[in-house]
Amino acid sequence: MMAGMTGLVSQSWFRWVAATAFLCVFPFLLQPYELDLYRKLLFWVALAVSYNFLFGITGQMALSHFAFAGIGGYTVVILLTQVDLGLGLAILAALLLAAVLAFIVSFAATRLEGFYLALATLAFAQLLTVVLDEGGTLTGGTGGLTSYSLPAVFGAKIEGPWYALVMVAVFLATLAILVRIDGSWFGRACRAIRDNTEAAAAMGVDVARIKIIAFTLTSVMAAAAGMVYAFFDNTVNPPVFGLENAFLLLFMVIVGGSGSHAGAIIGAVLLKMTQDILEPIVGHYHALGFGVLVVAAILFQPKGLIGTWDNLRARMKRGKGAK
Amino acid sequence: MSDLFELLVSAMASGCTYGLVALAYLMILRPTGIINFAVGEWAMMGAFAALVLSGLLELPSVLGILGAAFGLAVVGWLTERSVVRPLVVRGAGHLAPILVLLGMLVVFHQAMLLIFGGGDEPLSGPFGFGRIELGALAGSPQDFFIIVTTLLIFGAVWLFFERTVWGKSFEAVAINRRAAALMGINLRLVTALSFAGGAAIAGLAGVLDGPRASIEVKTALPFAIQGFSALVIGGVNRVEGALLGGIVLALAENLTQRYAPIPSGLSLGVTPLLLIIFLLVRPAGLLRAKAAG
Amino acid sequence: MTTARKSLIEVSGLTKHFGGLTAVDGLDFVLNEGEVLGLIGPNGAGKSTTFNLLTCGYPASTGSVRLDGEEMLGLPPHRIAARGIMRTFQHNMPFEGMSVADNVLVGAHTTMRSGLGQVLLGAVAARAEERKARIRADELIDFVGLGEFRDAEVTTLSFGQGRLLETARALAGEPRIMLFDEPAAGLTPSECDRLSEIIRGIAGRGISILLIEHDMRFLLPLADRVVVLNFGHKIADGAPDAIRSDPKVIDAYLGEAGGVGAASGGKDGVRNA
Repeated sequence: MMAGMTGLVSQSWFRWVAATAFLCVFPFLLQPYELDLYRKLLFWVALAVSYNFLFGITGQMALSHFAFAGIGGYTVVILLTQVDLGLGLAILAALLLAAVLAFIVSFAATRLEGFYLALATLAFAQLLTVVLDEGGTLTGGTGGLTSYSLPAVFGAKIEGPWYALVMVAVFLATLAILVRIDGSWFGRACRAIRDNTEAAAAMGVDVARIKIIAFTLTSVMAAAAGMVYAFFDNTVNPPVFGLENAFLLLFMVIVGGSGSHAGAIIGAVLLKMTQDILEPIVGHYHALGFGVLVVAAILFQPKGLIGTWDNLRARMKRGKGAK
Repeated sequence: MSDLFELLVSAMASGCTYGLVALAYLMILRPTGIINFAVGEWAMMGAFAALVLSGLLELPSVLGILGAAFGLAVVGWLTERSVVRPLVVRGAGHLAPILVLLGMLVVFHQAMLLIFGGGDEPLSGPFGFGRIELGALAGSPQDFFIIVTTLLIFGAVWLFFERTVWGKSFEAVAINRRAAALMGINLRLVTALSFAGGAAIAGLAGVLDGPRASIEVKTALPFAIQGFSALVIGGVNRVEGALLGGIVLALAENLTQRYAPIPSGLSLGVTPLLLIIFLLVRPAGLLRAKAAG
Repeated sequence: MTTARKSLIEVSGLTKHFGGLTAVDGLDFVLNEGEVLGLIGPNGAGKSTTFNLLTCGYPASTGSVRLDGEEMLGLPPHRIAARGIMRTFQHNMPFEGMSVADNVLVGAHTTMRSGLGQVLLGAVAARAEERKARIRADELIDFVGLGEFRDAEVTTLSFGQGRLLETARALAGEPRIMLFDEPAAGLTPSECDRLSEIIRGIAGRGISILLIEHDMRFLLPLADRVVVLNFGHKIADGAPDAIRSDPKVIDAYLGEAGGVGAASGGKDGVRNA
């Protein structure tokens, strides 16, 4: 019977179903303040997974991921409250705007070598912060937008643990899509671009096209996460989508294991939970620990925590084989 | 009209500090290919070091400046030795050092906050306050001091690269690491020097800029971004480019803020906007690389 | 009497100046269908430049390179691959973050027809294509003799094994034409023999081959025809035996230390006796 159990657990569909079930049931067991942490955790995990595909798998060091989350969040709120669009339309329009902007940014950036992309996206993120800060009544300025709430969907008010399910859905959709395309010619092309762009081109990979697709897709995913975020506290303000969080996202992916979906999840969970635990105690100095962690990871375990896990598993397997 | 000239002097001084940060990037980038965002933190560390030296220890201002530069040189050398060299030795690729330095950026930043807090502190320069007038140009003594000192530093660095054997070895390493090593150039020493020199210059940028307003830790990242933008605008390939880029950037910022009919907060967007424009239209910057001799 | 073969690639008047230096000067040659063509010459003869002009999308100063009658000079590398021309790299350029099998699968990129949408929806066609590609990749890995390394990290391979990987990866693209960039460079004698065998096997599958090579000992037994370059000019074009005894060719190589068949020093020095 034990053999049957391990056989079941190793089935991919079982793991997906179990994970989904857990993620959906869990929020109903939480206190309101824990629920808030849970939703924000999932938000970060979703962003980390999509960012990992852009940075860890396709090798594009972009610093604009949080900016696109902000574009998603702000746009949907603005369209909802100031243009009086229905929720469905607002969501679609916001996704479209994010896609168009991401396309423009990545199209322009294909000519830029690796690191210049980081710069260009950093400048883009900065510009966005300035626009948000100076946007007057449109964006609410430095204080952001606050007096809005999620309209009823088909007559039902979605809040509390039920709204957490929305974040679960966006996270799982992000993960499912990326895992699926990762296992195809597209994922291999992305990794080839990351590992050796010249050789990738020689093998027939249209580097510019793949980069643009990867950037646009993951940025739209970030925007989607940002939209869900907007209704957590019914507040969106500029600092959330700024550079500090962009760096933290990068750190999560590195520490967890750049290039691995599981690594991104682990990195995000570890760092976000550490932040939630430490911040009330030591304030923002917890970031010092993160800096040290990142440096240590790059120096001693470039494959991240997931690399350590894989090494452990390999060693256990060898141990079993030796018996 | 005298308004404009005062603005120009002030902008020139700003441009000089941006140029110095850009130069700090360049010092490290040239021989190693590494882009070190932590130079912004180093600039503020220089400013705070000078604060400690001249404020706390009550040393004369000039000694504070020199002490800060020296201290930062040590920091730069230590940084290279401890986190960069292991990666280079291991052949970790071009991205790893950049990322590790981002991690160090956070470490430096938080350490500074821990020690000095998040508030702003006044830093006095060697010439105190007041106003100097040179014909139509007028500005604070610190502004003129910055301009003169920056020109001297750039002159020295230019001479270093063009006329000394050491400087030429930087160039050689930049062109072809392996060939340089085969020719007997000590790669490790060049790399260590480039980090020490870059850190010292960054520190100087912070110390010089400090007395113009006040110093606070959170200026570090904007400094880093402005410095890099200046480098891209001026031209990554030439020392003079760093200064030119800084001046162009500062002029654009100041003139926009003063004369453009837009809310003043939007002038903060000038730097990223210029950076994006240059990256798209002219990534090599204003000054082309010299033709191979 | 051999039947006339169809010419696949026609190089005419190919010229490339680098500032004051003329690396390739008015080069004419053809690659015929089904043949193994060697492009050979001493160091600095212009072989690498010619190769790069063919594969990297560099602009030539003048001249043309036609594939099936259509101009292909200046085409970006991925379009060249799409036209059925695959290449290896002299210095081995594996994708280090991927396994051997996945490396080979990247080579098959141009053969994958399913769109991203189909992949996303898990369409039957997409999955079938993926399965077939994996089977083909496994065949190729066995063909070059890397079977036991199928799931290994690419970084664990020796240089010679890496060369085999290069070959398998390029073959995965189901090319009509294979371009080998100094394939013998850096290989031990036994590795050279193995590679020779593999190249013969590739030719046996009907794939046309252009071999850029410096080392005559490796090339002459393999090639159907040889074009010899020196100082950017073609100095000979014919069967290997004719080339071997062509006084102009011997002259060109004697100008080089060591004479005909000797390897260059430095990085290719593995073949020195």
